[in-house]
Amino acid sequence: MTERFDFEGNAWVLGDNIALDGELMELKYALARETDPEILRHQIFRGLDPTLAERIRPGDIVVTGRRFAHGNPHIQGLIGLRGAGVGLVCESIHSGSFRCAINAGLPFLPRCPGVTALVKPGDRLRVDFATGALQNVTRGERHQFDPLPAELRRIVSNGGWLPTFRQRLAQQN
Amino acid sequence: MGQTLAQKILSRIVGRSVEIGEIIMPEAELVTVHDWYAANAARALDEVGVTELFDPARVMFTTDHEPVAVSPHAAERQQRVREIAARLGIGHFFDVGRGGQGHVFPVELGYIRPGMYIAGYDTHVTNFGAVGALGIAVLTEVSELMALGSVWQQVPQTVRINLHGQLPAGISIRDVAQKIIGELDPDLIDDAVVEFAGPGLRHIGIDGRFTLVNTPTELGARSAIVEPDEIVRAYLADRVDGPVELPRSDPDAPFRAVIEWDMALMEPQVAAPPRPDRVVGVSQVSGTRIDHAYIGSCASGMIEDMRETARFLKGRVIHPRVRLFVTPATNRVAAQMAEESLTGIIQASGAVLTPPGCGVCAGGRIGPVAPGEVSIGTGTRNDPGRLGAHDAQLYIASPATVAAAAITGEICDPRGLDPDLQPREAAHD
Repeated sequence: MTERFDFEGNAWVLGDNIALDGELMELKYALARETDPEILRHQIFRGLDPTLAERIRPGDIVVTGRRFAHGNPHIQGLIGLRGAGVGLVCESIHSGSFRCAINAGLPFLPRCPGVTALVKPGDRLRVDFATGALQNVTRGERHQFDPLPAELRRIVSNGGWLPTFRQRLAQQN
Repeated sequence: MGQTLAQKILSRIVGRSVEIGEIIMPEAELVTVHDWYAANAARALDEVGVTELFDPARVMFTTDHEPVAVSPHAAERQQRVREIAARLGIGHFFDVGRGGQGHVFPVELGYIRPGMYIAGYDTHVTNFGAVGALGIAVLTEVSELMALGSVWQQVPQTVRINLHGQLPAGISIRDVAQKIIGELDPDLIDDAVVEFAGPGLRHIGIDGRFTLVNTPTELGARSAIVEPDEIVRAYLADRVDGPVELPRSDPDAPFRAVIEWDMALMEPQVAAPPRPDRVVGVSQVSGTRIDHAYIGSCASGMIEDMRETARFLKGRVIHPRVRLFVTPATNRVAAQMAEESLTGIIQASGAVLTPPGCGVCAGGRIGPVAPGEVSIGTGTRNDPGRLGAHDAQLYIASPATVAAAAITGEICDPRGLDPDLQPREAAHD
């Protein structure tokens, strides 16, 4: 399985300090250990705006402020984003959620200082998560951020942790 | 450019000099898994067809989250863990009644040396930093760690905190630890190793160092570590074989930040609901009536914490409305308490002594709170529901502040009840 890294879609711009539990994903899905992307994709951001999950389209880009998805590192919110087919661009992301996003196979740019000032809600964006290039088509501007390290992009392109673990086991045998 | 202590440890593990930010696959020298996750990890291994571990001799199972099974379900889980430990040949299996709290007893028993790299299923595996080892939490991926010996780590940045001065009378190391996580910017700490050093460390023993390295994880630190010194060497002298090395960061190491921190505090510190970093001076919450109190956990269950508890409870009884649970972290702490006659003092006060382990802090499985209650304890976190009922109000403080609240029935400045500060009052009590 190889995930795509080039995205084109509409921007959804969120502020600083979006909580993982309660805002990105209700805690009950973590407690139930739900890991089905098809279920979780319909639950993202319900704590912020119950209509958001159904308005976000595959290929769209979620742009956030600092400390995105802080809190206990429950993977369900990140699986939900991957299930929705979106890419994620953050000014900063909480370290536990960074690891969960890799494990969920979510394309993202973890450290994009000032990016929420460069994008308005609804702007058309092109983001190449392999290179860190962000193009604001609406404004006609290009920006460059650091992509994930190659080793971690490989895990994302495999579809996340479990496929990568299986691949590593197969290589050992 | 020099290297940080964390960089040196990970460089030694992978056999070459590593750079900060680099992705590496370091083989853990010890892998710890607790009683509430061992069966899940084994199930994950079954699902991917793993029947043999990378090195079962390096794996440790601890029984601390629920050391006494009080339900058929828990008894069956313990039975499963025993079967898994035997089937996988787990090298260090600490079953019911053995060891105690798994972030503390491995240090006491000499499993941990300065400069070691340990990975384990629990955010407080950082405790091994008390003796200068690097403990990093590995959650879902712990099954990969068991099967293949490593999972990826990005070589972390380090924030160094140089401690200065010493604890004023009536102020404890827990107050300092709480103040630090209450004050520091979470963005500064996020994903960093917090390294404690500086002249103030001379006044802090290993027990206090457990408390210091336990709390930064609540702010999102990857780990925490004390720069090992002669206190560590003396502590380990009769616990480990051979000479004890004391690896340290180079003076020109690339720290993310260096913070100078004076331990002089005006008053004891309390974390208010609902987060451990919502820290205020005790005077701001004094008078809050409590129903439930707890002393113990991997943050504050060491012998010094038990001595402090007994010092406050000696000759006193706890408030009639309050139930107080006291949990020594380990079997050794419990034995030492008996030897020093602390056990009887605590029991005579009306407190309940529980078996060594995590105590109430592990989800309130032992002695939980009921709906609407107010609790003050020395556990690690105070998220809603952490100790039972979701709407209970949970405060976190030092053993002295918790003991004082248990005696008076409300949160108060413990210095008013401190026998060493108030000899006359203590004599009349």
